[in-house]
Amino acid sequence: MAELMMLDSRRCTYFFLYDGSKVQGEGDPTREGICYFYPEKTPIDKQELLCGQLAGVSRCVSEMSSSPVRVLRLRHSKFAIKMEEDFFWALGCSADFPTVSMCDLLDQLISLFCFYNGPVRQSYQENSRETLALHWSQYLLYLQTGSTELHHIFSCLRTIDSTHIDPLLLLKAALILQACQRCPLVLAGCILFRGRVVSTQMPPDLTVKVMAHETQTYNKDKKPNGVSSSAPLSRAVTSTTVHLTLSELQDLRSTTVDRESRSHSTPSKDNRPQRTRLSRTLSDTPSTDSHTDLETDSPDTPLRLDGLLSPVLSRGAEQSAARPTVNPPLFQFSESSPSTNRKGPRSGSNEEEDEDDSVLEKSYYYSFHSHGGNTSQADLQGEASPLAEASALENKPPATPMADGRSGPGCWTPGQEGSPEGRAASRGSRDGRNSGGASLPRVGDKDRAVVPMTLYQHRVKGLVLALLVEPHFQRDTEAMEEVYHSSLASLNGLEAHLRTMAPGPPSPQGPYIFAHYDCIQNTLTTNVSGRAGGDQDHSFVRATSLLHSHFCNSEALQEAIIRSARTAVYATRSVAQETYFLQHGGVVRNSGVPNHQDTAFSLPSKARHRLLKHGVSLL
Amino acid sequence: MKCVLIAGDSAEVLFYWTDPDFQQDVQDQYGLSQEEGQRPPAFEDSINTLFAPIIISCSTMVDRLGDSYACFTTESDHIYVLHQFDDCLYIAVNGDGEEGEDDLRRKIFVTKKLIEVLFGMVTLSSNLLRKELRPQDTEQRTRLWKQLQGLLETYSRLRENDQSFLVEAVERLIHPTLCEQCIEFLERRLVQHLNSTSSLERCGEEVLHAFILVHTKLLAFYSSRNTSTLSPSDLLTLIVMAQNMYHSNTDEEDPGPEDVDSVSGSGPEMFYTPEPSPTNRRSSGSDRPSRGETPMFEFVDPDIQIAEDSLQTLEVPPPDPAAPCRVFLEVSLKDGLYPMMPHSMYCLPLWPGITLVLLTKIPNSGVAMSVYVYLEAFAKLEKRLYEGQEGSAATRGQPTIHDLRGKLDKFIKALGPCDIQTSQLQNVWSEFKKRAFTRGGPGFTKELIPWCKSMKTQLCGVYKQCFLNEASRGATAPQRLSPALQDQAQAMVQEKLIDWKDFLLVKSKRNITMVSYPHLTYLEDFPGLIHFICVDRSTGQMIAPSLNITERSTSELGKGPLAQFLRGKVWGLVRTTRRYLQKGYTTVTLRDGDFYFCYFLWFENETGYKLEEVDLPVLADDSAPIGMLARDYYRKLLRYYSKNHHGEVVKCYELITIHLGVIPTEYILQHCRQLASKLWEPSRNPLLSATAPDETRSLRKSFSELMSCTTCGVKQALCRAFPVWWMISGFRIRKCSALRGISSTTPLQNHSFDQKLCRGRTTKEEEPG
Repeated sequence: MAELMMLDSRRCTYFFLYDGSKVQGEGDPTREGICYFYPEKTPIDKQELLCGQLAGVSRCVSEMSSSPVRVLRLRHSKFAIKMEEDFFWALGCSADFPTVSMCDLLDQLISLFCFYNGPVRQSYQENSRETLALHWSQYLLYLQTGSTELHHIFSCLRTIDSTHIDPLLLLKAALILQACQRCPLVLAGCILFRGRVVSTQMPPDLTVKVMAHETQTYNKDKKPNGVSSSAPLSRAVTSTTVHLTLSELQDLRSTTVDRESRSHSTPSKDNRPQRTRLSRTLSDTPSTDSHTDLETDSPDTPLRLDGLLSPVLSRGAEQSAARPTVNPPLFQFSESSPSTNRKGPRSGSNEEEDEDDSVLEKSYYYSFHSHGGNTSQADLQGEASPLAEASALENKPPATPMADGRSGPGCWTPGQEGSPEGRAASRGSRDGRNSGGASLPRVGDKDRAVVPMTLYQHRVKGLVLALLVEPHFQRDTEAMEEVYHSSLASLNGLEAHLRTMAPGPPSPQGPYIFAHYDCIQNTLTTNVSGRAGGDQDHSFVRATSLLHSHFCNSEALQEAIIRSARTAVYATRSVAQETYFLQHGGVVRNSGVPNHQDTAFSLPSKARHRLLKHGVSLL
Repeated sequence: MKCVLIAGDSAEVLFYWTDPDFQQDVQDQYGLSQEEGQRPPAFEDSINTLFAPIIISCSTMVDRLGDSYACFTTESDHIYVLHQFDDCLYIAVNGDGEEGEDDLRRKIFVTKKLIEVLFGMVTLSSNLLRKELRPQDTEQRTRLWKQLQGLLETYSRLRENDQSFLVEAVERLIHPTLCEQCIEFLERRLVQHLNSTSSLERCGEEVLHAFILVHTKLLAFYSSRNTSTLSPSDLLTLIVMAQNMYHSNTDEEDPGPEDVDSVSGSGPEMFYTPEPSPTNRRSSGSDRPSRGETPMFEFVDPDIQIAEDSLQTLEVPPPDPAAPCRVFLEVSLKDGLYPMMPHSMYCLPLWPGITLVLLTKIPNSGVAMSVYVYLEAFAKLEKRLYEGQEGSAATRGQPTIHDLRGKLDKFIKALGPCDIQTSQLQNVWSEFKKRAFTRGGPGFTKELIPWCKSMKTQLCGVYKQCFLNEASRGATAPQRLSPALQDQAQAMVQEKLIDWKDFLLVKSKRNITMVSYPHLTYLEDFPGLIHFICVDRSTGQMIAPSLNITERSTSELGKGPLAQFLRGKVWGLVRTTRRYLQKGYTTVTLRDGDFYFCYFLWFENETGYKLEEVDLPVLADDSAPIGMLARDYYRKLLRYYSKNHHGEVVKCYELITIHLGVIPTEYILQHCRQLASKLWEPSRNPLLSATAPDETRSLRKSFSELMSCTTCGVKQALCRAFPVWWMISGFRIRKCSALRGISSTTPLQNHSFDQKLCRGRTTKEEEPG
């Protein structure tokens, strides 16, 4: 808790949302346009000054360049800017915070708001400023709390420290999620423990949003706006309306669902063939012959079980459980879709029409029913809803392994992880977002249009199962109960296990500092404690933020060594990861003259050697 | 899409420069908003209107928040950089992705530097500067703005194409024998001759510095005795100015080799690089349409050439070709540093691309020194009063205001007969005295601050009268060396260099060469080395293989896209390393695509002993750009470093290398070490000694081709020059004065030209007589 409440003051100094449409005439006071201003205690005339000047000057510059302002720097601070319609967001940070990360933070914040409240204009029409101000401050707090400065630089997910956790528990969490997904109304889910990810099936940016709600309820133990407790089930279950962008939704629908097995198991409205538990506990898993739990005629059951085991096993073999199983591979493709959109054969307009029609009414649930139970996978690929079709087109290279080789929802298969296209594409899209080039559709109409979905949460003490479900899941008590009951026991068990896992003493730092960032899963492994950062820690963070910015702005840069009189930091990156390494006390007082005996140049080999035991392979 | 703009505090535009794209863009925007049939507003008005909101908002932020805008970036990567100097706001814009934030900030600082060199201490009073930058008279304004715009364009062109302006250090022509001879010639013949003519002919001026430029490279530099050294920053600025005056001559045509080439029909053009670069064409574009077609080689007499030139360039009456340019340069004397002291600069073109520059001291320059002393005293006093120190506390320091009182009285009295209006200064000064010194008066309190200010303004006004608008004072004869004397000087040097002319022009393009496309390897000693730049920051000199990237020419790095690509890498690398240096990192290695980049900065003492590294200051993002042209970062760095090395001469070096990525790192580092240790050592310089076979081979080839087609005189000169190549000993060039009585073929290691340039006084002290 203390960690969660720790506010890194270095990060955000100002944040405001200004609505230009409220201040049109000469006499309109600027304060009319201020929707939210952080810090809230700022005197109103200073608020007006900042809002008025920054919004005004940005508008002027935008008009001159016919392109919205992205970054505005003052002498002593800087602002990430977002201008959309009449809205003007500005997020101010101290000058030494990387600009890339600052812009990420603002984007995250805005999309988080839209996730829970829907489009900004609409939510301001429906709700009072005070209510929404509360939300902004909550989200701002949520995105700023916790973790170290390094986490802020990379804007990464907070995950549980998997080094102290039995890998089997991670597997169990993954199994629970997959079991829930067998209900066709469930899109994807994640399991969180004390504000940290245990396992997720969603892309990192979506997981962050889902976690925000959990963190709020966990922190404040009160129901935020829009939450309706579902009566029939225990009070531990809540659901709330959330808003997904079309592309997010499409990614979830097209990639995570194991359609075939689902279509079999889908309970049609009237007759449900089976009343079995959806979930399997760990004890069930090995007994592949316990077919009563599974679908009788599912042809790929054994394959799926292999797949289920594979994430942890193969990862464990390769990287000795460095990270929790945040199931990554499918999302590298989904991440790639925004950037491939414009290249793809799909022309935005009519497809969107299709989607708009289909999204609410004939969602997957129904479209599958229409096909009956015996449709082959290939047919499904061909004839499924336009969403699936589109995504199949989009993800051409990966589509084949997914269709054929995919063994289970959110499961890891070596072919996918290794797929260069997927990685490259995901990197590309990330780069695109960072550089904010005009050529990339930053906020396409597609991203702006949102679809209401429901976030279902089942809390067992510190543990939360969060599922993104179709809106009518709430009305479908049967499905709801089934999901609830089938996961309850497993969740309890998992919670008990996780709780007893002592957090363990912070691992001794050793003679080196490192940070390993996984660009695809958006996770960070580091031995920087973040609390009493020493001198070295500080210079490491400084170097890391410089190098990270450099990596983001340069496509071809692969590795770098930078050295000042006191510190030498080695950094390397591939499309999937960035690694930073500093050796303590290693730098002998050096003249700085080129010298191959300079200890700085031995850093790469040291890093390779040292980091192996953290599961980071730099080979 | 480029623009530079200076705005005064009331949001009026004091100066602007735009490229055609930006101008078009602005006109389009205004064209749209105009009603049918209405004429679009004048461009100056449009740009004023466009920027006014930004300028006003900026001053609001300063007033109310104590902070101001530093930079805007839009999603389409348009960049706006803003910087406030006193009351003037500088804005630089780029919308074509060719310049980064750092480049724009550098441009702003360079603009500032150019203005300082042109206007001197007038820049210290924003009121006066405003009037100078934006004269009421349209004709005058057009002329001034054209001059400044031309300078900015020249700077941008050099910054984009010339490595010495990329790293902001002077590049010298590597030809020790010739350099020596030229220095000797400048000293014994030219400067001596000029300074010994009758004072009347010289108008009381005295030549202090003389140097010969071949394009941007320095062939020879001589400073007369007891003269302050010329700082690298000033020298670079003067090179920009010289390039600006004759820039059509420098790049667009080198008739000799071109012509020769076509006649002989032999010789691949790869050894000649006299190509008009696209930038030039564009920059000289609209207002000088016929320049490109002018067959320059027809004008044998450079004087005629200039006249022709000016006719085309300016609608306003052409300036007197023999009129010098007034420049304000830093002077360091035993009793301190005096910035912005007036000099006259004579740029005498010898041939297209080769220029003789004379810097003279003007008779009344002592006034400038006094003005500076008083200005400083009042500024100090004002600062103390601001800080709340009143009474005697405010008057402490050297020299005290009481000391100055008498001196200033005398100073004002002495100004009287010099046609300078001093009545206002006198009034303000007596008012100041009344308040400050009389018994019962307010004394040294905060109320004196406005009087300090107006004293400063008045002093700047006097300075301006003395050095900026002499013409308006109705002086009988213009202040200059007589045209006849200038002609003499020009003829003397022309005679001296006539045999070398063509050689020098080729040499300036291929000063040091690496070799040989397409192998992209460099010498047997450094396999995998593609390019390097080494800079001696204590003298402000750099050495690097030539990197010519004009369309038709071929450099070591090859031709066309490949060379252009590598050039982009070099330029990008310099930018990156500056960024890291700004944050205190002195060693950077990067693996980038197929290349491996290294950057090192280190300190040595005079004997070459490598000094221990210290933590360098970490600078803010909007601090002055790292370089030597606008603000000398390295001088500050050396001062910072020297704090711990009392009494020791500290030198600072930088090395940048680009290797092929496949070369193992340890070899790369070894190369760097070898380059670092040998590059500045004359005897073992791998580039310059006989161990550079490829280099020599290619040079031999180029010479033989030259030989086959040039006139007899040139041939002789080349015959004399060629063997010298084998024993080039690089940078330690004996100082001419030390050569008296010594055979001209014995190199003297003790007296280096570097030292001369770097610490003129020390060297002089070493050499009595």
